[in-house]
Amino acid sequence: MAEWEQVNDPLEPMNRTIFEFNQAVDKALLKPVAQGYRWAVPQFGRDRVRDFVRNLRAPVVFVNDVLQGEPDRAMQTLMRFAFNTGFGIGGLIDVAEPGGIPYHDEDFGQTFAVWGIGEGPYLVLPILGPSNARDGVGLATEWLSDPFNLYMDRIGQDWAIWTRAGVAGLEKRERLLDTLDEIERSSLDYYSALRSTYRQNRAAEVKNKLDADGQR
Amino acid sequence: MLNRRSFLTGVAAVSFGLAHRSAWAVTGDAGAFIQSLAESAMNTVAVKDLSDGERVNRFRTLFVDTFDLPEISRFVLGRYWRAANDGQKAEFQKLFEDIQVYTWTRRFKEYNGETLELGSVKPEGDADFIVDSQMKRAKLAPINVSWRVRRAAETFRILDIIVEGASMAITFRSDYGAVLSSQGGKIDGLLDVMRKKVDQLKLG
Repeated sequence: MAEWEQVNDPLEPMNRTIFEFNQAVDKALLKPVAQGYRWAVPQFGRDRVRDFVRNLRAPVVFVNDVLQGEPDRAMQTLMRFAFNTGFGIGGLIDVAEPGGIPYHDEDFGQTFAVWGIGEGPYLVLPILGPSNARDGVGLATEWLSDPFNLYMDRIGQDWAIWTRAGVAGLEKRERLLDTLDEIERSSLDYYSALRSTYRQNRAAEVKNKLDADGQR
Repeated sequence: MLNRRSFLTGVAAVSFGLAHRSAWAVTGDAGAFIQSLAESAMNTVAVKDLSDGERVNRFRTLFVDTFDLPEISRFVLGRYWRAANDGQKAEFQKLFEDIQVYTWTRRFKEYNGETLELGSVKPEGDADFIVDSQMKRAKLAPINVSWRVRRAAETFRILDIIVEGASMAITFRSDYGAVLSSQGGKIDGLLDVMRKKVDQLKLG
């Protein structure tokens, strides 16, 4: 528990400014759009969007599985990508999950953590929200190394990169609608509550991973 | 000698066995405690067609009976707890209870058929247990919820709820600590902010 005593936020004034900006953008644009999306698109349609966005990220998950020394999980990701892209109509339907290969997420931030790199100072990123130095570098690494992004950039179709980022963001915001409302409603200082929740949640994601291996 | 030694061995074996068994029984009890709490919440607070006032009353009764509010209050206030006088402590506990009651009542009002499935129970420290569980939702991924409970006489009291790895007690401590520092460390400043929060929660 001692590690949570420190708020680990030396850049708090800057972070709070960005947080205020994010809140304004969220209230005016992102949240209403996410609510509209939930209202207008039935669950079935939203599930297809989620499956498609997830499938598009499979190469990144695969690379991180490998970098974390997880051949079994890497194989799962590879199989899922093959099945879902082939039989799941380009990833629109997750046929691998009911077929017994469950989805798991992975990112560069978690990989760096597995390598023993600490979280670094807490950061609030413009639009993207709560992060830290390690996870921020992880996000940038993902953006620059994602095969889909690299390909679209090479053939000069940048609109596809931004559209994909927008759809992925919308899907994520919709998923978090209730959670974020809940944290905001039950807290006195939303900024601090969100910071604490983010840090604990990330630490648990990394730790679960370590526990599952039983060694590291 | 041999007789005496085997007698002692026998005593040791029996007492160890008993101690072991009672520890196991207590472990099982902690799970049963969470199970029965979930059931009474479903049957009393989460029912449809209840007036808001009645739902608040029902949840408050359940909450005060099953949560260790004094201990949670001490933890949330941290080092500020000792600096507070008795009146401030009592006021804090009352407001904290109100905030919890109004946020939780709203959650139960929006109850949508979720069920709690119990997982393993592990001892934690000297007197506590961590009860793992999963909240199953229709069409959505389950949420991992762990309960930290402490033995209290014949029953248990909840100290913390850990949702997807994030402890509510630690989050509150961080949240309330931030408000305290922005109020120059003054408990009365925090109590003012809490009062406004309660009024806001009552409205919506």
